[in-house]
Amino acid sequence: MRDQPAAPLVSASGLQKSYGALKVLKGIDLTMKPGERLVVIGPSGGGKSTLLRVMMGLETINGGSVTLAGKPYIRAGATPARTVIDIAVRRSIGMVFQHYTLFPHLNVMQNLILAPCKVRGEKKAKASERAAALLSRFGLGEKLAAYPSQLSGGQKQRVAIARALMLDPKLMLFDEVTSALDPELVGEVEQVILQLAKQDMPMMIVTHDMWFAKNIASRVLFCAGGVIVEDGPPEQVLGSPKEERTRDFIDRVFHIRQ
Amino acid sequence: MNYSFDFQSVTRNLGPLFDGLAVTLQLTVAANAIGLTLGFVLALLLMSPWRLMRLPVTLFVEFFRCTPALVQIIWFFYCVPMLFNVFLGSITMGILALGFNLAAFNAEAYRASIQAVPREQLDAGIALGLNPVQRILYIVLPTAFRASIPVLLTNGIVIFQQSALVAIVAVQDLMYQAKSLATQTYRPIETFSVAALIYFAVSFPVTQLVDYLERRRLAVAG
Repeated sequence: MRDQPAAPLVSASGLQKSYGALKVLKGIDLTMKPGERLVVIGPSGGGKSTLLRVMMGLETINGGSVTLAGKPYIRAGATPARTVIDIAVRRSIGMVFQHYTLFPHLNVMQNLILAPCKVRGEKKAKASERAAALLSRFGLGEKLAAYPSQLSGGQKQRVAIARALMLDPKLMLFDEVTSALDPELVGEVEQVILQLAKQDMPMMIVTHDMWFAKNIASRVLFCAGGVIVEDGPPEQVLGSPKEERTRDFIDRVFHIRQ
Repeated sequence: MNYSFDFQSVTRNLGPLFDGLAVTLQLTVAANAIGLTLGFVLALLLMSPWRLMRLPVTLFVEFFRCTPALVQIIWFFYCVPMLFNVFLGSITMGILALGFNLAAFNAEAYRASIQAVPREQLDAGIALGLNPVQRILYIVLPTAFRASIPVLLTNGIVIFQQSALVAIVAVQDLMYQAKSLATQTYRPIETFSVAALIYFAVSFPVTQLVDYLERRRLAVAG
């Protein structure tokens, strides 16, 4: 797939992130083309969630920069406290978290329209209309007035995905969005993400679910020890990894799952 | 003990007791108005990034939390007029003493529930493009305020009971009226029992409400 060098959607270079003396990201370079679906796998503490949080601009960084559609929006300063983040660019990235993070005092509809109304100044009626359409597409048409506490984990996570989509993101980040779910609820959330994949939504997904990784990825990154150890198509990284560390990890994961 | 109870000596004189209750409620409502608003401002200042702003507020809060309310009231009535040459009338002074005391406790309640808003909620706010002020207005404060309601109500009802202390500086509240009635009728057992019942009758529904709100909050959180 390297014959036509499409302009990258995302380009990160030299990303470094430390928590005190602990280096979590040790210089990560990464480019992502439009329409690509990157799945990031790897052991806990390997830096994959941190990588996603950095891309979202939730973390300060010690070195490096990230651009989105050619526009640099995260750049390390002299100290982590001086990390420069372009908020306007960041707004075109959506993110869904492991623990739903719906706002508990707002119902489903209010959760969805809060940001469009407050951030973009969209009219409430217009935003509600879009929200209702999105929710019924995700099988949540009945839940507009429900509060998060009245929903199952799978429903909450689908609402969270819909909420992120309300801002028409150019890139979606999914951070272990099925890890907190009961096993029987995982499928309904993954179906929604697969639906987005069919519409060519560019996405970066951190997951421990290898079945899902195989199904949705156009590219898989194996991230461990703060670096990208292996980067390639899913058949390669999940099927016949080149690197020994990747092989060890894949073997262990599939053993546990047997 | 062959004491013959005579509750009629009290029931015949319920008028002054209810006058006293009215003063007590007035003290309570006004002190809560101060406690809820000033307490919130103090909580924000307690979380200020500037130490120069935190220090005096911390001193204020800890002074009221770490000294007996009775001492605070007496200090307000005798020392403030001598030191600053102001005396604003006994009820006003009582309201200020109780209100500042409550503000200190409420500040801690607000601070605790603001800081208990999960970090992830704020991350979600950032991911949705809300600016810092919007995150505070639409995420932190509504969540924190709901979480703090049971504690605020409990603190409020504690102040209702603490207000009995102002009788000692001649504010004519329920306790003051009960004391004078007991002296007039020589019936302290009956008088103070009835006074206690009146305090109880007001407090009890509020504590039940707090319990109910707590249970509902736990059910929602779970």
